[in-house]
Amino acid sequence: MIELKHDSLAFLFPDVHPSAAVSVNFQRTLRIPDDDKTYPLPPGLGAFPLRHVDDFADGVPAHWLEHGGVMMPMYQSEAMWLHFSGSYDPERGVQYPMAIKVATGKIDAVTGKTWSNGLHRHPQDYMVTPGQPWLDGYCVEKGVIRQFVAMPLGEGYSAEEQITGKAEHGGLQIIVYPMKREVFERRFPKRPPLLRAMRIAESADFLCCAPPSAKSEMGLAPGGRMKQDIFQDPFDFSDWDLTQSSRCFVHIANSLTWTSITKQAPPLMPPSAADYTRYGLPWFDWYDDSLQAVDGSSVLGKLKRVLGIAKEKRQSPLPENESCDPTKVVNLQPKRVGDKVREGAF
Amino acid sequence: MSAFGDYVRQKRLTLQESDPAFSLRKVAAAIEVEPSYLSKIERGEQPPPGEHTIIALAKALGEDPDILLALAGKVSEELLAIIRKRPLLFAQLIRELKNTPDHAVLRLVREVRDGKW
Repeated sequence: MIELKHDSLAFLFPDVHPSAAVSVNFQRTLRIPDDDKTYPLPPGLGAFPLRHVDDFADGVPAHWLEHGGVMMPMYQSEAMWLHFSGSYDPERGVQYPMAIKVATGKIDAVTGKTWSNGLHRHPQDYMVTPGQPWLDGYCVEKGVIRQFVAMPLGEGYSAEEQITGKAEHGGLQIIVYPMKREVFERRFPKRPPLLRAMRIAESADFLCCAPPSAKSEMGLAPGGRMKQDIFQDPFDFSDWDLTQSSRCFVHIANSLTWTSITKQAPPLMPPSAADYTRYGLPWFDWYDDSLQAVDGSSVLGKLKRVLGIAKEKRQSPLPENESCDPTKVVNLQPKRVGDKVREGAF
Repeated sequence: MSAFGDYVRQKRLTLQESDPAFSLRKVAAAIEVEPSYLSKIERGEQPPPGEHTIIALAKALGEDPDILLALAGKVSEELLAIIRKRPLLFAQLIRELKNTPDHAVLRLVREVRDGKW
């Protein structure tokens, strides 16, 4: 089951295990310059608002109602990243592992293949939490993604249109599978009370931080390059419970039409990457030497960038594409205190 | 005495024990009524005031407006508007939940609907 809680999607599997849950939200962020430099991770500027499409049946396209799910607003050329936050099991000192598959316009963001339910290992078409705390774009090379950038559906920019030649789905699609309960309990046995208490204290700061026209519907397209690993599944493929899944269709409305649909104001446009950097504000890097990155997708690697298509069309859809040189980069890494308790002299 | 008046008086007097700002006169001023009117309400000599004043009184006393409105035998306009929009559905829902334990009511959640992809 999926609940909408405070602009996050809570994927819950209470029939599998009380801790089997993961929260997904969509973070507003800077659009990194589309200039072929490889940038570090930009900040999160707060979650995009999410609403049930059923609550605005009079204002959304009919096929959105057919798909069900939720919707959010994005401006043309605005960027976004997905934040995954698992449910912490205090008795075992870990977050419950989940396999998460993300597609845009029903194109898998990791492999570039068209949507199918289920998980696939070769090539791996999903991510695993904990371990993968966020996803900023399309996996185009090992350790490099191209940022998710919203563009009007039907103008040829989206990954979906570039790969299928159709502007049919738009938005984002997410499906989540939990680890099998017996595997979770075997891999992560209950820990002595002392260790539990220490890990709980550490976990508190784990996170760093009239129907509208077709033009109002947005798809995601590949923008600037960013350094980000999509990590290989560290578990056995048989560890995943493929009999249990929850999926959600996330529609993207142009922010300029959001108020007419919902009577609510969309968030403001984020600052430009160049302005953000000039103010000395931090960028980020995520490092986890315990995990290996997957190779990039050759299909996604061949996609044209938004700027490239725009030049062909003699359009300029990316205002404020000024390059910048982030100098303040904060290195982040997962905490492992609970796994490494040092025993000193008694 | 009335249930509404008695509840308001007890709540106000309890608060007044530690803060003189909850005297009859000061609370009446805060909700923009005469002290004598508030006194009569508390003693049950006047029926409960209108929704606007009850909500102001709830705010002044740090009380939940829905509780004071219920004690006054009223339902807020906001809730009425919700029910009026889908009267059959909400009437059925409320009747079915009539004897449901609190914890079960609180577990009622709305799932994100999955449709045809």
